[in-house]
Amino acid sequence: MKTIEVRVERIISAPPDEVFDAWLDPGVPGNPWNAAEKVVLDAKVDGLFYWNLSGISHYGRFTGMERPHRMEHTWVSPNTLGMESTVTVTFEKKGEDTRMTLVHSGLPDTEEAKGHEKGWNYFLDVLREQFGSGSRRNYCWDEAHPEGK
Amino acid sequence: MDQLSDVLTAISHPVRRAIIGQLANGPARFLDVAEPHDMALNAVTKHLKLLERAGLIERERRGREVMISFRAEPLKQVAGWVHEYERFWNERLDEFEQHFRKMKKEKRAR
Repeated sequence: MKTIEVRVERIISAPPDEVFDAWLDPGVPGNPWNAAEKVVLDAKVDGLFYWNLSGISHYGRFTGMERPHRMEHTWVSPNTLGMESTVTVTFEKKGEDTRMTLVHSGLPDTEEAKGHEKGWNYFLDVLREQFGSGSRRNYCWDEAHPEGK
Repeated sequence: MDQLSDVLTAISHPVRRAIIGQLANGPARFLDVAEPHDMALNAVTKHLKLLERAGLIERERRGREVMISFRAEPLKQVAGWVHEYERFWNERLDEFEQHFRKMKKEKRAR
């Protein structure tokens, strides 16, 4: 199956060891565990994680843990169609800051995995914000395009 | 140009987004579409042509009148263009970055 990778980069205003630890702390906003309703997290090589958001479960196993430079873990969710994808996060010192690079590879490149429907709903939300949220308007839109739900 | 480019061009102007917003309420006649906008009618026509090229509106003759209606389908291309995980990680990292920016500010304030 054809796979793709997603790459995201940010400059974080703290040194690498602080950023590395914060990424693994479910109490810090922005990391994947923070968004979850239930989290199990054992952040060491061969440690496992589980987290659940809106009824969707994500599982993985840590395969690399080199504080404060790099961590790697697998990632399995309905969006990977049950396949093991890989998330690699690197932390490079950049002056007083950290360049953080997250690469999510091995994602199945299918229409289903692209989360078309979710992307679609997201886009609708953006449009709704743009146009205000009159109930009649939302009603009409949904009624006219029920496949977008 | 490909259709995705046409769609992105179509939604890149506030007047055209406002027209989509109007038509999302239901089909309308040309003059009703033009009415809220303080511009010449041929400028409105130009905007409508770009929306039509992107497949976002359709014209239909009903008796003497031409009704303009909205079609949402092409917007799906824009939604599918961004991979779900691209959006997920960007949202997460924006929040993460924001958290550190806030902490730095608080540290300075102390």
